[in-house]
Formats: sequence, C-alpha cells, structure tokens
Amino acid sequence: MSVSRSFVEPNDKITSSQAAIVLNNTMLGAGILTLPRSVSESVKTPDSWISVLVGGIIVMLVVVIMLKLSLRFPGKTVFQYTQTIIGRYPGMVWCLMLILYYVVIAGFEIRAMAEVTLFYLLEGTPIWAITIPFIWLGAYLVLGGINSIARVFQIVFPISLFILIVSYLLSLRLFQIDNLRPVLGDGIYPVIQGLKSTVLVYSGCEVVMTLVAQLEHPKQALKAMLTGISIPVGLYFITIIMVIGGLSVDSAVTSTWPTIDLVRSFEITGFLFERFEFPLLVIWLMQMFCNYCSFFYNSSLGLSQVFNLSYKGVIFALVPVIFIVTMIPKNINEVFELGDSIGYSSILLFLLFPVTLSLIALMRFKGGIQYEKP
Amino acid sequence: MLSSIKSHIPGWEVFFQALLTLAVPIVIYRIYAALNTLAKDKSGSAEGVSQTTYSGTEELPDHPFSRDYDNNMNRVREAIGANSDVIIRELAVGDSEVRAALVFVKGMQEDQLLKIQIMQMLLEAPFGQSISNLIDRIPTNSAHTTSSMDEFTQSILFGYMALIIDGHSEGLLINPPCGPSRDITEPLSESLLRGSRVGFTEELNMNTAMIRKQGLTGNLQIRSYRVGDTIQKELAIVYLNDIVNPDLLKEVHARIESIKIDFAAESGSIEQLIEDNYLSPFQQAQNTERPDRVIAALLEGKIAILLDGTPFALIVPVTFSMLLQSPEDYFERWLPGTLLRMLRFLAAFIAVMAPSLYISFISFHPGLIPTELALTIIETRQGVPFPALIEVMILEISIEILREAGIRLPKPIGPAMGIVGGLVIGEAAVQAGIVSPFLVIVVAVTAISSFSIPVYSAGITLRMLRFVAMLFAAILGMYGTILFFLLVCCHLSKLKSFGVPYLTPITPYRLSDWKDFFVRMPIFLMNRRPKLMKTKQNKRR
Repeated sequence: MSVSRSFVEPNDKITSSQAAIVLNNTMLGAGILTLPRSVSESVKTPDSWISVLVGGIIVMLVVVIMLKLSLRFPGKTVFQYTQTIIGRYPGMVWCLMLILYYVVIAGFEIRAMAEVTLFYLLEGTPIWAITIPFIWLGAYLVLGGINSIARVFQIVFPISLFILIVSYLLSLRLFQIDNLRPVLGDGIYPVIQGLKSTVLVYSGCEVVMTLVAQLEHPKQALKAMLTGISIPVGLYFITIIMVIGGLSVDSAVTSTWPTIDLVRSFEITGFLFERFEFPLLVIWLMQMFCNYCSFFYNSSLGLSQVFNLSYKGVIFALVPVIFIVTMIPKNINEVFELGDSIGYSSILLFLLFPVTLSLIALMRFKGGIQYEKP
Repeated sequence: MLSSIKSHIPGWEVFFQALLTLAVPIVIYRIYAALNTLAKDKSGSAEGVSQTTYSGTEELPDHPFSRDYDNNMNRVREAIGANSDVIIRELAVGDSEVRAALVFVKGMQEDQLLKIQIMQMLLEAPFGQSISNLIDRIPTNSAHTTSSMDEFTQSILFGYMALIIDGHSEGLLINPPCGPSRDITEPLSESLLRGSRVGFTEELNMNTAMIRKQGLTGNLQIRSYRVGDTIQKELAIVYLNDIVNPDLLKEVHARIESIKIDFAAESGSIEQLIEDNYLSPFQQAQNTERPDRVIAALLEGKIAILLDGTPFALIVPVTFSMLLQSPEDYFERWLPGTLLRMLRFLAAFIAVMAPSLYISFISFHPGLIPTELALTIIETRQGVPFPALIEVMILEISIEILREAGIRLPKPIGPAMGIVGGLVIGEAAVQAGIVSPFLVIVVAVTAISSFSIPVYSAGITLRMLRFVAMLFAAILGMYGTILFFLLVCCHLSKLKSFGVPYLTPITPYRLSDWKDFFVRMPIFLMNRRPKLMKTKQNKRR
C-alpha cells in the first residue's frame, strides 16, 4: 500500500538539519572517551586543546573541499562520481578502499564499544554476546535507508548533548586552570605532533561525500555541513579542556578511558545516581550505535552502487564481515593500534583523496561543465 | 609482517559465530517478508465495497418486480416470510380497493403513530395515482422506490417499512429504520474532568450528527461506504474539505475500498485492515469515543472513519505524540496543560522501562545506584529465592491478570477485587518472601503509570513492550535495556501511518509543531496547523 508521492516526502532525501546531525553523529563517538588520552600521549604538554582546535579547522577545510567536489555532481555519491573523474577501474579501486575503510572503522567502533561495556557494565560476558545484537540492530536500522537513520540520530543526539553538557558542568568542580598551563610552554612542535591523533577522532567526515547527494536542498549544503562539523569540534574541544583541566595531563595519559575516570572521580550526593558515569555511558553507547550505523550504511551503499548489487543483499553480506573485523584485535591495546592506523589511513584517503579528485575534476571538466547526465 | 597477519586471523569459533550472525537476520528477514506478503494477499482487489449515497445501492436488479401483485407477494413471502419478526399487513387501498401490502420488521420502526397514519392515508387514497404521486403524499421524510426484489427484501429486513401495490412494478420503501438505540452517555474509556461529556453511540447517523453539531461549517464532508461481504455495514469518512490534503484523502479512499471482510464488527477490524504495518506493536490509527477529539483532529487535517454499530471512531493518520495527548490539555490553561503532558511522557517512560531498569540494576549493576539504597534493596531481597527476572515476572503477570479480571467483573465487585488483589496479595507475597517490598513499589508505580496513558490501546502497547524490555534487561542488563530503547527508536523511525512518519514532530524536526508536543503552548501562539499533515490551508486564523 504505497502512498502517493506528494504527501510523503521523497524517501531517500534528508533535510539540511538532518544532514548536519548525521554528520555530527558520525564523528562524535569513541573520541569522547579516548581523545584526551590519545592526544595527550603525542602532545605530552597541556596544549592538546590547541591540537584539537587546529585539527578541527583543518578538517573543516577538508570538508569544504569534499563538499565543493560533491556539489559538482548533484545527486551523485562519491561512489558514483569517482568513476566519472578518474575512470572506471581506478575509480573502483578507490571506492573499494573507501568501503574497506568504512567497514574497518565500523568494526573498530563496535569493538571499542564492546570493550567499554565489558569493562564497566558486563564483566565476564563473552564479547560476541555484546557485539552480535549490536550488529543486528544496526542492520535493522540501516535496512530502512538514510531517512530512518537520520531520524534515529535526531532522537539520540539531543539526549547525548544534554547528558554530555550536564556531566561537564558537574565536573567543573574539579577543574583547575593550572592543569592547562603553561600554554605553548614547549613551543609549537608538540601541537603539530598532536594533530596526527586528532585526525582519528575526526575520521568519519568522509561521509560528507555521500551525504550531499541525499540532501533535499543542496543549496544549504555548506551551512548544514559546517554546522554538522562544528558541533563535534566544539564538543571535543570542551571534552579535552574539561578532562585535562580536571585530571591533568599525567593522569589523562595513564588512564584508558580518561573521560569516564573524570566523571567517576566526583560524587553527587542526594541524587538518584551518585556518580554521573552511568548516564555518560548510556549516551556514549547510543552515540557509538549511531557511529557504527553511519559507517555501515555508507559501506553498504558504496558496495551496492559500485557493483550494482541490491542494497539489502549487501547489508546482509556485510553483517558477518563486520563481526569478523570486530573480533580481529586480540586485546584492548590492539584495538587502540587499529584506531591509530585508521587515523593514518584516514589522512591518506581523505585528506589527499578529495584534493586530488578535485584537481583532476578541475582539469578534466574545466570547472564550467557541471556534470555529465547519466 | 605475514606472521603478524597470520596471528590475527581469528579462530574457527569466530567464523562459526559470524555464520550465525549472518544466518539469524536472514531467517528473520525471510519470515518477516513472508508475513508481509501474506498481508498483501489479504488486501487484494477492490471488491466487496461499493461507494453509495444515502439513498441506496446501484446494483442491477436481478429479480425485478412484476406488475402482478400476487406474484410479488409470493416472492416476498418466499424470501423473508418465514421470519417470525416480519409482519405483512395486507390492505385494500382507496375507494376501488386496490390490493396492497405493508411489510415491516417488528421493533425496527418505533413510531406506531406513523404506521397508523400511513395506513390511514393508503386506505383513503384515491385510486389511479402512480406510485410517485403516492410518495409525494406519504407523511414521512424519506421514501423511495425500487424495482429490485432483492434490494427490496433486504431493506425490509434491515428495517425499512415497505409497501407493495397491485399493478405497480416497483416497491416502495418508506422511512429508514430507527431501531432501539442507546442514550448518549459519557465516554467510558476517555473520561475527563473538564470538557464535554458527550460520547459517541452505536448509531452512525447519531454519531455524524454529533460531529455536525460541534459547530456551523460548510466544509465538513461525510462520505458513506458499505463494507462487508456477508453482512454489509455502513462506514463513513469525515473530513474538512478545505483543510485535508487531497492525497491523504485519496489514500484513505483507496484503502477503504480495498477492505475485504465478512462482517465488520467494530472499527477495530477496519483499523487492522487499513493499517500500514500489521507486524508493528504500535497502533496506526487512533480510536476515540469523543466527538470533540474527532473535530480537533479534523481541524488538523486528519480524517475520521466512523463505522455503524460502534462508538469508536478512528482517526488517521496518527503520530506517537497524539497517543499521549488528552483533550483536557487544551481546556486547562497552558501551564497545567504543559505540566500534565510532560507528566504523561514521563509516565509512559516509566510504564515501559521501570521493571527493566530494576532488573538491570539489581542483577547486573548494583554498583551504579547509591550504595545505601543498594544495600537496603539487597537486604530486603535476601529471603527471595528467585532471580530478579522471575521475581518481577511473578508480580507483573499477576498485576496484568488482576487488571484483566477487573474489566470483566461487574462494577460492585471491581473495587473489592482491586483491594484483594493489590493489597492483600502484594502484602502477602512480601510476607511470604516471594518478592521484595521494593519491587512491589516498582510494579505499583509502573501499573499506575500505564493507567495514565490517555489512549487505552496505546497503554496496551506499552504494557506489551514492557515485557520485551524485561527480557532484554534480564539477558544483557543495562546494555540490553539500551539496545531495547534503540530497537524501539529504530522501529518507530521506520514506521509510518498513512505516509506520515510516526515520530513527527520529534523527527523530522518540525520546530513549529513542537508548540503542541511536550509543551502545550498558549493557544494564541498555536496559530498554524501541523506542518506534518501538509494541509491545504496552513493558518488557523
């Protein structure tokens, strides 16, 4: 029983605000808990917040490049226009790398989620019991297409934002400005060192190249995407300020999940939960779900578009693949190593890739020609 | 390098698990798809329903009337004469004593005076007039002729008074039935403290009249259908002509025309035949007994479906927020209205989640609640021999049974039952050490919360989901509860009711519709119709 088109909104288009939230929820994930440690490890001075900010600005620039590139091919995702720009087979290889990257990152997110759950909530539970239902649930959501995904993100995000802000406000009582001093005490070099690690938390911005194609009003794309990216930049910035300010660099480096440790280290007496780590964990789990679904969606969309496969079939086929990726790291240190290598490949794939593509597109289509009609 | 890759290839258990991970969703998906195709077959082509006007059907007369009175009478007797409640009164009309017969069913025509008047008129009528002349002179507000014997006899059984006159090849149907009907009473399932006390009755004409009586407008349209293959019933859709979206109207028309059912006993069966997704636990049409609720929905561009024989009207499309709204929100001032509405959202959350939160805190994460509270709870649970899930199940199921029993019991016994069930059994169960007193509080709060849902059938949905949530919590604790929440979100975000996303206005964000969501803004600010309905006329004034 299908409803006539004009009453329902077109099924595979999303509004600008939805796109902003999808982008935001794709990036705001594991980083909330790990960012302070991973950045501090490479910066080693309290200047990590500068790295996060600078990294954020760089990523914004990259997003703008990706956006401009995608806007040259209206209604087409990166998987479709890459082949137009650099030819069929090289394009396919690029797309496959991208898809592989998405699948690995999805697996990484699930694994990180499972590790936190195992550590804080379900000690002694076999890890497959945690990951498998999560993967299934994601498959159920992704089957509904971008619209359902965007809707779930819209439910989850306000809750996450609220809890995050409340827990940071509460942790203000531990905040000591001295922990953030001295600013640039060792010069600019540590900040540049830290940029590498900040890239990982921003990996995920690549979905811009598929999101733009699904926008209802592509004219508002720039505003939507910049909003979408500034929210996680802002939140990560606040996170690192609060955690370093509350815990100091030394303890941030030694703890596995510094943000949880920060929230665990104070008690609110006379409240239902004395420690705020519980709500923080809840929203973080939901946020990880969004993260994973976004990558899952992008990889299945990519596979189905590159090889002309059925979207549903691809989703089912990817379910065991993601599960196996999840199980590959042997312990938590390998999980973090995997995360780092994702960050590096992210630099390779997504800082250089869109720039190259844009250049080639500029040369081949002389900027004036919009796009070839399919 | 190679060896490091080799060492990272997971063992065979992982591949086996991966296989399972693949197989289970495929099987579930297949079952789901199969169940869905079942639904498609069920609602096949548009037969069995014909749109009619109030005056009658357009069916071809397969057994036409003959001019011969005896022949006609024999056929009427043959068709329906065996029924003990059919009365055939033969008389001689007018001066020339033309033979005629008045046929009607006992109890369907209350007005004795009318019968006498008609007979008197017939007896005194001058002969030689055509039947249409007779119709003009009959002192009732409705009469029409038919030349189909089948329609004639059916109409008699449905309650029309019928007249056959010698020498005329048409039968006369006088006065539509007005059988026994119930008085207008306060709606039982949606009672309010403030607001009109009028509820629908079982009589369709009375119900449409009640909607018309809400106020003066030329826009209120009522279209009538007949549904049912074996026993036909009248069904009316009601909408405001210059507000409703024409596409929505078309969709509702199409869905009603495709209804195939033996007999539509209640609007509930209509609801199940026109809904989008029959596998969803959430209702996709709102039912109400209140005319004021119907008119308010119509003003928002929705469509109401009324069925003869039931006081429950359906409103489509429905969104999740509508299920937690009560007309009273608008009748009280906006601050209490808002607070009550938020309270209801909270109650809905408690009604679904409280027992599963209890289970996950008690049996998985006692460390997450304040230590003293945890200690108290554990202390009271010491004598309880069951795990938390069984403990909660025992109490929840007995509460559900109590509630079910309470509905069946006659009114004087009901409260007594509540006391016996709730107080005595609860207290005794604690004394006997089957459940902990803390749990009794949780279950009681849950039960009371689910009573505060203004739409009864939405309450049932939440009760159902509560048990699913408990299972999730029992298996995976807090993590399971979060998964359950996400599952419900995923499902709701996919669900549509007549093309409207079920979760609007939460998502897609329509900020202007938020004025009437968690918060009930002052009435002068709610000056636009909901965007989600894409109404023809946007401004309320």
